[in-house]
Amino acid sequence: MNRPKILYKMFVANAKEFFRDRASLFWMIAFPLIFTFIFGMVFSGNDEVVYSLGISVDKETPITKELVNQFDEIESFNVSTGEIAKELEELERGNRKMVLEIPGITREGVTGGKSSTVRLYYSQGEQETNRALISAIKEIFSGIEREVTGRAPLFQLEPEPLETRELTNFDYVMPGILAMALMQLGLFGVFQFMSLRENKVIRGLAVTPLPRDTFFESEVALRLIIAVIQTFLIILIGRTVFGVKILGSIPILIGLVVLGALTFVSMGYMIASFSRTLEGGRNLVQTVQFPMMFLSGIFFPIEFMPGYIRPIVKAIPLTYLGDALRQVMVGYPPEYSLSTDVYVLTGWFLASTFLAIRFWKWE
Amino acid sequence: MENAVEVSELKKYYDDVKAVDGVTFTVETESIFGMLGPNGAGKTTTIETIIGLLEGTAGEIYVLGMETSEKISDVKKRIGVQLQDPSLFPRLTVGETLDLFAAFYPEPLSVQEAAEQVGLSSSLDGRINSLSGGQRHRLAVSLALISNGDIIFLDEPTTGLDPKARRDLWETIRNVRRNGSTVFMTTHYMDEAEKLCDELVIIDHGKIIATGSPDRLIEDNFPHQAVEFADPGLSPEDRNDLLGISASGGINFEENEGKVILYSEDVGKTVTDLIDYTRKLGIDLDNLKVRSATLDDVFLKLTGRAIENE
Ligand SMILES: Nc1ncnc2c1ncn2[C@@H]1O[C@H](COP(=O)(O)OP(=O)(O)OP(=O)(O)O)[C@@H](O)[C@H]1O
Ligand SMILES: [Mg+2]
Repeated sequence: MNRPKILYKMFVANAKEFFRDRASLFWMIAFPLIFTFIFGMVFSGNDEVVYSLGISVDKETPITKELVNQFDEIESFNVSTGEIAKELEELERGNRKMVLEIPGITREGVTGGKSSTVRLYYSQGEQETNRALISAIKEIFSGIEREVTGRAPLFQLEPEPLETRELTNFDYVMPGILAMALMQLGLFGVFQFMSLRENKVIRGLAVTPLPRDTFFESEVALRLIIAVIQTFLIILIGRTVFGVKILGSIPILIGLVVLGALTFVSMGYMIASFSRTLEGGRNLVQTVQFPMMFLSGIFFPIEFMPGYIRPIVKAIPLTYLGDALRQVMVGYPPEYSLSTDVYVLTGWFLASTFLAIRFWKWE
Repeated sequence: MENAVEVSELKKYYDDVKAVDGVTFTVETESIFGMLGPNGAGKTTTIETIIGLLEGTAGEIYVLGMETSEKISDVKKRIGVQLQDPSLFPRLTVGETLDLFAAFYPEPLSVQEAAEQVGLSSSLDGRINSLSGGQRHRLAVSLALISNGDIIFLDEPTTGLDPKARRDLWETIRNVRRNGSTVFMTTHYMDEAEKLCDELVIIDHGKIIATGSPDRLIEDNFPHQAVEFADPGLSPEDRNDLLGISASGGINFEENEGKVILYSEDVGKTVTDLIDYTRKLGIDLDNLKVRSATLDDVFLKLTGRAIENE
């Protein structure tokens, strides 16, 4: 008999069944895209940060004017001036990052070697930013000091910016969204099968000459094609809307997408073999899918998680798929080596395929 | 020529239920074979075991000369099946479903032909989940027909159809036979079995209680005619007296319908006696009817109870 033709027809029937189902379309196509847009907008905005700096001058002199100008010229500072009391109030409200209180400094005082105290107010916390800002401000003061005293600087630091890649948070998250989409494809995708099984559609097919393998091949082929569509759409949006550069090789990426999809598709079938009813399957998927999504580090680095969770993180296949995709898609520094990722995913794929077959239920 | 189906000593037991308890029968090719029995008799179990959907507990099954436990995938290519409660892909259309099933068989009918045979030609674009129960049922029959198989298995093909659709389907089934295929069907409609089937087995509690053509079954069991009237509330003694009147054919009380049926070879005498007898008792005879025996009577005689229609 004509197996390729049967496979083709079965595939088309499955595809129609899928694309005419609003719920599965939403979860597998729309949902990952919405995620991409949301994270894209939140994370990938211009990374240049501007700090607002309040300056209060006790008594204006040419030197203090010069100082304020100097700060104003620095792009990273958004300078506003005012009464010290008012500026401190703004600091407290969080409208200023730091406030400088500058006394009336005169040229005579400076050349006469009189030291002036400049107070710098800031709120505690964000220590690293504060430290960086404080030393930047110090540098500005010593620049002015050198200018006034006419002493030549001992060291000249020449900043030479190179065109290097800066990884944004969105670069981190985008491969994670793809990983999430592949997981949902496999875990939610099996609901279609379970509902056909529960409604005895599968039983009806069993009386025809349709080989059962062919039925599976058509399902898996459909899932893989949807996986490629998901990948394409997410990358398309990431690139065109949010300017993410895809670094890795496309064949390796496709290979990973296929491996990831197969892993989660077989996990889906494993769940179908553990639960007789669609309702039971849904519950099981929910208990697996939700923690997996948040504990796998697809949305934020694993270091952010408390230590006692790490073992769980390390067991979750999504962790490795996310890691592998990050490396290959955007060149993110790997958590594990690519081969480790591939081994773990393959292991999960084999284990769940084995369990799915072992406990398989046609009815 | 080999028989279409041969079943011997087939048994299918569930834990404590003997759904099918040792049935043996033969289905000739190019015939309409009917399996008649009340709810829970074991019809579906028998049919689903023959087509390989269920595994029998014991017994032998040959379909088209092939032992089903070994050759089931060859068998499936040459049979079409309509299950009792069929389900289909809910979001496909009628036409798409027929087209899909056609692809499974080596020499299928065309989608148009199969739809036409069950009167669904105008619904080809309708989605399965928007069909009426009757339409869905006819589609299921049509999916069996599209196989163009040597045997078409139909499990209660006319249940849930309106009278016109039922009659149309009978004609379709006769057509299948005319085209050289065999039909194996189940039903619990007596009239359907009587008018449509060439050969019948009557099954009850998993056992075959009679076999033969409808005419033969009636003739063998009833060389009599039936005299029927509404039960006026006869006492056991009255019933005994009545036996004397009806003489040869015996008496049946159809409790559910409140009917008394006398079977007789001499209807004239029986009716006169009956009238005399009731007059003597001073009771009225309601709904007095004389008719020839039917399969219902056969079933009633064999099992002591009427088959329940729905
Ligand atoms: N899976 C099962 N487990 C236990 N008992 C079953 C099972 N399937 C059927 N039975 C029992 O086997 C008997 C025969 O059932 P079957 O469905 O074959 O009857 P049927 O003649 O087709 O009835 P109907 O006219 O209602 O379709 C019934 O008593 C039924 O309850
Ligand atoms: Mg039945």
